[in-house]
Amino acid sequence: MHFVTGGAFNGKRSWVKERFANACWLSAYENAQLPTNLTDINSELLVLEGIEMWLKELSSQSDPAICRDIWRHTLAQWESWERANSQRQLIIIGTDITKGIVPMEEENRRWRDVTGWAYQDLAIMAKTVDVIWCGINQTIK
Amino acid sequence: MNFLFPDTSLIFITGGVRSGKSSFAERLAEKVAVETGGQLTYLATGIATDPEMAARITKHQRDRETAELPWKTLEQAIHIGDVASSVNDHDIILLDCVTTLLNNELFYKNQAWDAAFLATVKDRIVSGICAIKNRAKAMIVVSNEVLYEPYSANELVFTYGHLLGQIHQQLVQLADQAYLIEAGVPLIMKSAVRQ
Repeated sequence: MHFVTGGAFNGKRSWVKERFANACWLSAYENAQLPTNLTDINSELLVLEGIEMWLKELSSQSDPAICRDIWRHTLAQWESWERANSQRQLIIIGTDITKGIVPMEEENRRWRDVTGWAYQDLAIMAKTVDVIWCGINQTIK
Repeated sequence: MNFLFPDTSLIFITGGVRSGKSSFAERLAEKVAVETGGQLTYLATGIATDPEMAARITKHQRDRETAELPWKTLEQAIHIGDVASSVNDHDIILLDCVTTLLNNELFYKNQAWDAAFLATVKDRIVSGICAIKNRAKAMIVVSNEVLYEPYSANELVFTYGHLLGQIHQQLVQLADQAYLIEAGVPLIMKSAVRQ
């Protein structure tokens, strides 16, 4: 599991595309739903993009503690998909939305909190974590 | 030729609000000036839109005139590349900052933000900076990190962030050195010694 993060518009997608050709992409920006079951994926290389959008939806539906349970359960399923075949690799892209001014709206504060916790959980499970800044990566794990 | 700062070096610096990026940029410019014997040149892009802004600009001008190493000032609020012809290979140019320039380009006339206009603005800024740096001893460009909050459904904000992000990526790609300033501490993100 490879987590790629960084601020919006810093070139995360291009960075991943350059390194992982011929991957299957599931993008929240293209209206894909949070995939909990990956058994239908035919590709060995899978990119999940825009996880902060899935976390936004989760955080609008449930309390943060429940969101985190759902998230950890989802991560476990993703990990077992990857582990089932040594050729499989999962790349997960999430925009860092956690460094701005505290949002005015309660739902946006909750979204931001849930996203921060979810990224911590993901980084623990990920073998590699890269932060992309202006197209340059820093491998922090 | 100077090893650390080869001719036509481009140095990109960014950081959050009050991160110390401007002071770092000025210190770096002065260092280049001392090492290369070049002329410190401030490329002012600010437009005085109210008396407070005008006073601020005057104060900065006075600070630079009375500095230990004297600064020359060039003024260009839009079409930044037009100033390239006034630049020579002794000049160490400091442009602070890209977001001011971007705002000037986006708002100086009432123009619809369609794809063609945005592409023109991006190209004008990036190629303008290139044109200046190609004639200068060195060019230091400062910008702002603004892209780390829940991006809103507001289309203008989204478009602005997207455009600024693209400009940053292109500048970093062109840059010989790139720094991210965190709480006054410069992190070197890119440093390539050219052959």
